[in-house]
Amino acid sequence: MVMPYHQVNVLTGVKGCTVIEDAAKYAEIIKKAKRPLLVLGPLLTGNPFGDKILLEYALAIAAAGNIPTVATANIRGKMLEMGATPDSEYDVIEIINSLKKPDWPGVRNEGNHDLVMFFGIRSDLGNQGLSTLKHFAPHLKTMTMCKYVFPHANYSLPNIRKDEKWKSFLEELITKLKEEE
Amino acid sequence: MTQLEEKKNSFHHDHIWEVIRGDDQWEPVGPTPMPSPTDLRNWDMRLMKTYKPFYAPFCDLCCLCTYGKCDLTGSRRGACGIDISTQQARIILLACLIGCSAHAAHGFHILHYLIDKYGPDTKINLGDNVAIEAPNIRLVLGMKPETLGDLLKVTEYIGQQVVHMLDAAHTGQEGSYLDYESKALHIGMLDHVGMEVADLAQISAFGYPTSEANVALVECGWGSIDTSKPTIAVVGHNPASSTNVIDYLTASSLMDKVEVGGICCTALETTRYSDKAKVIGPLSHQLYFIRAGIADVILTDEQCIRTDMPEEARKAGSALIASSDKACHGLDEVSDWEVDDIVKAIVEDGKQVLILDHVKAGEVAVKTAMALAPKRRKDLITLEEGMELAKECKTCGICERVCPNLLQIGEGLAAVAKGDVTPLEKLFNQCLGCGKCEEECPRNVPIFKIMQLGARKGTYNVRQGRGPIMDREIRNVGAPLVMGTIPGAIALVGCSNFPDIDDIVDIVEEFAKRKYIIILSGCSAMVAGMKRDENGQTIYDKYPPDFDQGGVLNVGSCVANSHITGAVIKIANIFAGLPLRANYEVIADYCLNRVPAVGVAWGAYSQKAASIATGCNRLGIPVVLGPHSSKYRRLFLSDKADDDWTVMDGRKKELVQTYEPSPEHLLYVTETKEKAMVAIARLCLRKNDTPAGRQLKLNHYISIYKKYMGPGLPDDLQHFVRNDKDLPIVYKREAMTYLKEVGWKPKPVLTLPTLIGTYPSKVSLDAVVR
Ligand code: SF4
Ligand code: SF4
Ligand code: SF4
Repeated sequence: MVMPYHQVNVLTGVKGCTVIEDAAKYAEIIKKAKRPLLVLGPLLTGNPFGDKILLEYALAIAAAGNIPTVATANIRGKMLEMGATPDSEYDVIEIINSLKKPDWPGVRNEGNHDLVMFFGIRSDLGNQGLSTLKHFAPHLKTMTMCKYVFPHANYSLPNIRKDEKWKSFLEELITKLKEEE
Repeated sequence: MTQLEEKKNSFHHDHIWEVIRGDDQWEPVGPTPMPSPTDLRNWDMRLMKTYKPFYAPFCDLCCLCTYGKCDLTGSRRGACGIDISTQQARIILLACLIGCSAHAAHGFHILHYLIDKYGPDTKINLGDNVAIEAPNIRLVLGMKPETLGDLLKVTEYIGQQVVHMLDAAHTGQEGSYLDYESKALHIGMLDHVGMEVADLAQISAFGYPTSEANVALVECGWGSIDTSKPTIAVVGHNPASSTNVIDYLTASSLMDKVEVGGICCTALETTRYSDKAKVIGPLSHQLYFIRAGIADVILTDEQCIRTDMPEEARKAGSALIASSDKACHGLDEVSDWEVDDIVKAIVEDGKQVLILDHVKAGEVAVKTAMALAPKRRKDLITLEEGMELAKECKTCGICERVCPNLLQIGEGLAAVAKGDVTPLEKLFNQCLGCGKCEEECPRNVPIFKIMQLGARKGTYNVRQGRGPIMDREIRNVGAPLVMGTIPGAIALVGCSNFPDIDDIVDIVEEFAKRKYIIILSGCSAMVAGMKRDENGQTIYDKYPPDFDQGGVLNVGSCVANSHITGAVIKIANIFAGLPLRANYEVIADYCLNRVPAVGVAWGAYSQKAASIATGCNRLGIPVVLGPHSSKYRRLFLSDKADDDWTVMDGRKKELVQTYEPSPEHLLYVTETKEKAMVAIARLCLRKNDTPAGRQLKLNHYISIYKKYMGPGLPDDLQHFVRNDKDLPIVYKREAMTYLKEVGWKPKPVLTLPTLIGTYPSKVSLDAVVR
C-alpha cells in the first residue's frame, strides 16, 4: 500500500491511485485526454523552489497543453496580477459538484471534462474532493500535481522529499506537453 | 386537518396533548406538535430537492456488521444491500445522534442536579426582557415551558426520538440516503431543543446574566492566570462542579486567593457564574496548558476533554478530579468519602479520583489546590532552554506527516534553534494541540515544551455569555434584517481548531465593520477576543455588545447556540407575527426565504458541530465550514444558477421562476477565509430583499469580492440583480457594462417568497401570509 504523505489521508478502502514518477507518462495521459481541466488552488502562491511561485508552473502547464483553468479559493487575484485570466471561477467543492454530472457542459461549454488535474489545494480537502469524484464520477479521471500521494486520485505523484525533484518533474512535464506528437 | 387531529382519540394524541398542555390558550396548537421522525419529512425532501446532499466518502468500506467489511465502490452494494451514498448518510445520522445526545444529556444531567437542589417547580426565569423564553421548544414541541419540571419532559421526548433514530441506523433498516438525511435533519432540529433546555435551566438556576446586553468583560488567556496562586483548571462543558468551586471559594472568602480558569465551554459557563473566573482558552490550548503544569488541580466534567487526561495530569504533577459519569477515566469513585480523606489521598498519595457529588467536588478541588500549590513549581521554558532542545530536531518531517492540520512543525523548531520564535507563534495559532507530532518524533523532541515559547501568553478579554437575545432587540432589528437594510446576522460558532484561529477574528472584524450583526459562541467566542489590534483593543472592546447592526456579542457556550436559532425563530414570531406553536414548516420557510442569517463553523471538528449545523439547515439557515470539514462527508449544495428556483409568490398565490439562487447553498465548505467571506456575503442574499436592501448587500458582496479575489466583478452577479434598482451606486456603471456583456435579463421581485405550496404539505398557503 502506498502511504500518503499526510496520514490523515490514508486510504481505508480498495481503490487507490496509481503513482507515477515519470513526467513523460503524465504528459502522455494529459495529451490523450480530449477535454482536460486544471483546477488551481491557493497553495500555488507558495515558492518552494525559490525562483518563481508555483502558479507560474501551473500556468505554463495550462498554456503548454491548452488546458482550461478553474480558479478556486482566492487564487484569482494572483492570476490577474500575473496577467492570466482564469477560464472559470468556482470554489473547489463547487467545481467537483459540477464535474459529478456527466452532462455538465464543462468550463468551455464543449462537454464535461475527461481528465481533471488538481494543483495547489490543501491535501485533506483535495483528497476528500477526489473521493467524491472517485465514487460518483466514473466518467472522468483525476490527477494531482502536488508533491504528495493523493490516494483517492486516479494518478498521483509520489511523496517527493526533495523539492528539486518536484521542480524537475514540473519542468519536464511542461516541455513534454509542448512537444508535438 | 393537522397531523395531531388525525391521531385524535389515540393514546399518542392524548399523550402529546397532556405533555404540551394543549388546552393552554397562548397560541393555537400548530400542525406538528412533538413531531415524529416523519412529520416533517416532506419539508426535508423539499429542501433536498434544491440543496442536494453532496458526499465525500471518508472510506470505501462499511464495517458496521459481521457480514462486512463490504466494498461500496462503484455500483457495489454491501451484503445488506446498502450503497455508498446511503452509507454516508447513515454515518451522518450517527454523528448527529452523538452530537445531539451530548447536548441533551448535558441538559438532562443539569436538570436532575438542579431539580434535586431547587425542586421541579422552580420557575424558568430569563429576566424582564425575554418573554418568548423558549423559541425552539415552543416551535418544535408546541409547549410553553414554565418550570424545570417542564424542561425534563422535553428531554424525555428528545430521548425517545434519539432511540428511535438510532434504531434506524441498524443494519437492514433505512434504505434511502434521503431518508437518512431527513432523520439527521430531525435530530439536528432536536439538538437545538436540547441545547435550549440545558441553557434555560442553567440561566434560571445559576443566575447567569440574562435580559441585558452590556454584560461584563472577563479576563482571558494564559496571562490572566496569576501562577503565584493555587490554580484550578476546569475543563469541559458542564458547570455543575465548577459552579461549586466558585460557591465554596465565595463562602470561604477565598475567591481572591485561588485562581479558577476554564478551558473549552466550561470556561464560558463558569465566567457566566462569576466574572472573577478566567477563560484560559479554547480546546486547542488544552493539552499545552495541562502540560505546562500551571494547574494545581484539573477538574474535568464532560465533552471535548482529553481522554488521556489521567496520564497527562500525572506527568504534569497536577491533581485530577473527574466529575462526570460520562467520563470516569477508570478512576476510583470516592463520592462518599470524607472531604479531608479525599484531599489527603490526592495530596499525599497522588490519587486521581472520580467524585460525582458536585458540591463535594468543588470543595475538594479548592482544598487540594491550596495544599498542593506551595509544593509545586510552575516555570515556563526560557528561550535558551528552548533553543537547546530545538537543536535535537533534524527536520525529518515525520511530525508533519501525522499532523491533522498539516503543519510544518520542524521548520518552526529550526527557527527556534536559531533564536527566532516568530514562526512558532504562527504555528501555535494553527495547532490543534492534539499531541500527535510529539508522540511520533523519533528523536523525542519535546515539541510541546518548546512550543511554550510560541504560545499566546498575554491577557485578553471575552464578553460574558449573555444568553438569549432580548425581545426588544428582535423588535428593533426585525424589519431592517428582513428588508435587507441590515445586511445580515452572522453567527461564528463552536470550535476554533482549524485552520488558523486568527481567521475567526479576521472574519468577525470584516463583517462588524460593515455593520452586520455578529453573534459568537463557544471556543470561537474566546478566540475572537484573543487578539489585540495596534491600539491594544480586542474585538469586544471595539464593537457594541448589542444584537444590532455592527454589534458583536457572545451568547455563551455550545448549548447557548440554541439562542442563535432562537433569535431567528423570534424574528418570524415577534416581527412577522407568525405563530410559533408547533408550526415548524412555516417558521423554517420564513427563515430560509426571508431572514439573512448565516452560520459559520470555521474550526469545527466534533459530532456536536455536525448536529448543530444540520439543525440550522433544517431551519433554513445556511452554514459555511472550513476546509477540513469536508471530512464530515456531507454538504448540502444547489446546482447554483442551473437549478430550478421556482417559489410561490405568497401574495399572488402563483408559482414564480425567480432564476435567483438565494440562498445558494445550505452547507458549504470553503478553503480559505477570504473565500469564506465572499460566500458569507453572498449567502445573506434573500429573495424578499427590498431594492435598498439588495443594493446594500450587493455593495458588500462586490466590495468583499474585489478586496479578496481581485479586480472585476463576481461572475455570478447577474443572478442576483433583479432590476437596475438593485445595483449599488458605486459599482453601477461597471455592473451595467458587465450585465450587458453576459446578456442579463430582469427578474421578478417578490415580497412574499415561500416554498409552501411547492411540495405536499398539510400547511396551507394562507398560514404564511400575515
Ligand atoms: S452493515 Fe451492510 S454494508 Fe455494512 S458491513 Fe454490514 S452488510 Fe456490509
Ligand atoms: S519528528 Fe522530531 S526530529 Fe522530525 S521534524 Fe518533527 S520534531 Fe523534528
Ligand atoms: S499538536 Fe499541533 S503541530 Fe502537533 S500534530 Fe497536533 S496539530 Fe499538528
